[in-house]
Amino acid sequence: MFGDCLSRKVAMVAGGLTYFSKARKDKTQEELAAEAARMALYENDINLSKDDIDGTVVSYFSDHFENQLLFGSIIQDYLGFNPKPSVRIEGGGATGGLAFREAYAHVASGLLDTVMVIGFEKMSEVSTAKGNEFIALASDTDWDFPIGGFYSGYYALMARRHMEEFGTTEEQMALVAVKNRNNAQNNKFAQTNPKMNPFGMRDGGKVTVDDVLKSPYVAYPLKRLDICLMSDGAAVAILASEEKAKKITDTPIWITGTGAGTDAMRAGDRPRTKGGVPVLPHEKKSWYENLEYPGVHSFRAGREAARQAYKMANITNPLKQLDVVELHDAYTSSEIQTYEDLGLTRYGQGGKLIEEGVTTMDGDLPVNPSGGLIGAMHAVGATGIMQAVEVFWQLQGTSGKHHGSEKIQVKNAERGLIHSHAGTGTYVTVSIMER
Amino acid sequence: MTEVYSIDPLIIKNPYEIVYKHSYGKTSRFFTSLSTGKLMATRCEKCNVTFLPPRADCPYCLSETKWIEISGKGKIHTVTTLYFSGEKFLKDLPFQLVYVELEGVDTLFLTRLKTNDMKKVKVGMKIRMKIARDLEWRASDVWAEPDE
Repeated sequence: MFGDCLSRKVAMVAGGLTYFSKARKDKTQEELAAEAARMALYENDINLSKDDIDGTVVSYFSDHFENQLLFGSIIQDYLGFNPKPSVRIEGGGATGGLAFREAYAHVASGLLDTVMVIGFEKMSEVSTAKGNEFIALASDTDWDFPIGGFYSGYYALMARRHMEEFGTTEEQMALVAVKNRNNAQNNKFAQTNPKMNPFGMRDGGKVTVDDVLKSPYVAYPLKRLDICLMSDGAAVAILASEEKAKKITDTPIWITGTGAGTDAMRAGDRPRTKGGVPVLPHEKKSWYENLEYPGVHSFRAGREAARQAYKMANITNPLKQLDVVELHDAYTSSEIQTYEDLGLTRYGQGGKLIEEGVTTMDGDLPVNPSGGLIGAMHAVGATGIMQAVEVFWQLQGTSGKHHGSEKIQVKNAERGLIHSHAGTGTYVTVSIMER
Repeated sequence: MTEVYSIDPLIIKNPYEIVYKHSYGKTSRFFTSLSTGKLMATRCEKCNVTFLPPRADCPYCLSETKWIEISGKGKIHTVTTLYFSGEKFLKDLPFQLVYVELEGVDTLFLTRLKTNDMKKVKVGMKIRMKIARDLEWRASDVWAEPDE
């Protein structure tokens, strides 16, 4: 059974971020990692010295962006952690979520007491088109890439099928873009926030549904503003055992559940099984009797990750029991698909959930207060760690302090979820954090 | 000579080229069959599942699969038109990608749709697979065309 053998409680005790930007030409990757690590160590009101860290988990996606293998070693050296243990974790877009789970496992198992997870990516040293090509190398290079491999194309195909299957609309997708982009205007580190981030996009700022709908198509139905950013930057989380955590901080945030799921690299190879939905405790099998699942419209890996994490954290009604979510909105369409995988609403109802405003800052369950990948950043290896840092601050009630704007703080948030997603849904992780 | 892009911070240009000698292994037969005009898929007789792209080994039971010829007729499962892409395909823009449901095949097949009338294309439209005359030995040697 998931998690039953892991007896030690694990908490997150500190987090740090860099300013995210299309291009941080001012610093190398290791210098960006140091910027985030310094914030984690010195701006979280903790009683912890750098020497108390027992080891590190290093989280980055691609060796191609910098043409440097074994970058983890450079990080370990640059941050001054030699000769302590370190491991590099890689799993496409889910790299950060997988690294966070790995650090959790290190501590829960008793292998280490205090672990620093260091996530980063510097994507700006190649052109945007070349960067997109590198990302597309994370699709099957025999069969999918040569056809015109491009992730926005793959997600467009999935979004189009979601529209066909459930009646999801481009207007509903636009509402997700508006929510995330506008949330990002309260996030000091966000790439689209030129008012607070000195490295922010000059043409960032708020957008309207009309702006999104009028932005140029990249791959129908996805338009420029439906699609996530490419970023440079780093994010750092420090995890500790119960005994250590209580000495380090008065406000540890407990990691009470974690799950990971997988699916076929080629989305077309996934089953289309009638009634094949693995139902969550609050769902009925009969809801989905005629739905072919997962097909290319839903992410079975996300559902599986959520199922495990909910079971471990005793969550039987996620919409009611969660107070804040940071999820992997690579595309507006995939945020809608993910609402359904996470059981925040029924399969097919994701578009309605955003239409009803449930996931906005004023709604019952704010999703992506940071602005997510669309509004804040997607420096791949840092992304899942950024989510952990944001939810950590939300649950501590320190988001306003760290961002310099109380507008980002979800009031009285006690339980949060982070969701990290790779490929076309090949690896997905979900972790639950609680005050 | 190293090309300098910026002085402060110092940014240099770093070119890097590589050629891989890539083996298609047991799926080579898909490509070699195209030269005789045949479209081949693989089938696991134990699990009754037919795969395209072909798999030499069935992921459900790990038995070895058998090659079968397929008709290449099918219909569109989902479609998109691309206006931007990775570097390699910028020259082809705009173009259409489809997942097709092919007769006798259980998986969906990702391919390009070639048509003179993109506006007529819709989910459920009948298509037929075409094979290139000059083979490049890539998955792009086959594509779909409308068949209605």
